[in-house]
Amino acid sequence: MSTDAMDLDSASISAPRVQINLSTRDPTLSVPLQSLRVPTNLKRYGLSTLVNHLLETAKPIPFDFLIDGQYLRTSIDEYLTQAGLSSEKPLDVEYVRSQLPPTYIGSF
Amino acid sequence: VTRLIGNPKHEGLEDMDVDMELDDNETFEKALTETGHTATVFNEEAQALWKLYENKTRILSLSLTEQLRLILEPTLSTKLRGDYRTGKRLNMKRIIPYIASDYKKDKIWMRRTKPSKRQYQVMIALDDSKSMSESRCVELTFESIALVARALSHLEVGQISVVSFGETTRLIHPFEQPFTAQSGANVFAGLSFMQTKTNMKSLVETSIKLFREARQMNQQSDLWQLELIISDGICEDHQEIQRLVRLAHFEKIVLIFVIIDAAGGAMGAENYNSKSKGSSSILDMKEAVFTDQGDGRGPKLQVNRYMDTFPFSYYLIIRRIEDLPGMLSTALRQWFSQAAEAG
Ligand SMILES: [Mg+2]
Repeated sequence: MSTDAMDLDSASISAPRVQINLSTRDPTLSVPLQSLRVPTNLKRYGLSTLVNHLLETAKPIPFDFLIDGQYLRTSIDEYLTQAGLSSEKPLDVEYVRSQLPPTYIGSF
Repeated sequence: VTRLIGNPKHEGLEDMDVDMELDDNETFEKALTETGHTATVFNEEAQALWKLYENKTRILSLSLTEQLRLILEPTLSTKLRGDYRTGKRLNMKRIIPYIASDYKKDKIWMRRTKPSKRQYQVMIALDDSKSMSESRCVELTFESIALVARALSHLEVGQISVVSFGETTRLIHPFEQPFTAQSGANVFAGLSFMQTKTNMKSLVETSIKLFREARQMNQQSDLWQLELIISDGICEDHQEIQRLVRLAHFEKIVLIFVIIDAAGGAMGAENYNSKSKGSSSILDMKEAVFTDQGDGRGPKLQVNRYMDTFPFSYYLIIRRIEDLPGMLSTALRQWFSQAAEAG
């Protein structure tokens, strides 16, 4: 939990950014189609915060993120490096309700 | 007769003042034959590409030339005059006597007799980063380059240089050389739109340095320096760039940012309802910002409009190439009137 939350602290204004295209298969949880730039040092927790912000949820819903069919378990930056991608290309990011037990984000 | 867009006054313009310089196309053909044996296929492709875009934007380019002439030329005192054996332009009044005299009265040329009081140095900066090709900006960018470079070189008010930027900033064409069709081909050949970073900070820093050097080389007391940045407008470090933009302004370098917003144009058209992923105007782009408020409650998320922090004060958003001449001259006119007010 603590390492997961760390990514927000270092997400400063001048961090490298990448454009993401958020999508979900769950029509009840979809956000408007939009061009969104996010710091590349975001991890699951930061992205989950973002989607909740966009959905204006009263009670935060924990989300998991899939890029190219794989669950994001690192920062976006680490993912880009591993996949040999640059931040110049928009990234398609799919989100799903987190499979993890709710207590995991209980203190959110 | 081709009618210049937005400038009907110039139909049949200057029939007494025939420009005897080679048309760029002829220069281009000449360059082709001269280098024909050694030129690589790559260079020939670049030349063909330049010629294509030059032809595509010819009329718009003439329109921009004439609009800029109205803005820039009142500040130039140079006139073509006199009767010389060699010169810049033919004096048509001397042609009939010339023929009638069996080609003896051959002082048929006019020259620039006074040095211009004001000289311009214009740097064109081109975004070579991958986001340009990802956002399908390449076509509109090529058109913009050809249009602007040709209009400026026809204007004959000063020197043109071209730099590209991305991960690194590179000088493609220096101020000292005239901008020819071959220069245009070199510019196109120098662009890949594959650079994996967009270091706008480095661009502005390098530009200031190049302008400082160019000012030292130039003896003109009244030298105006202008930079046109052609880019999709996506960059980081807005605060730091803004600081450098202020420094450039302080050094009397005018920065005008031409945002190529190809996706914005596409969205406005028939694709409006299609769900093309992330292809929307830069004006609709948002940015997630996490800031620590220092209240011990952790970082706070804000979703802002990208353009709210855009670091350049003078910018225009181009969605169709037809918009460029009018918008660019309007931006320049605004800048000139503000500069005049400031004294
Ligand atoms: Mg870029």
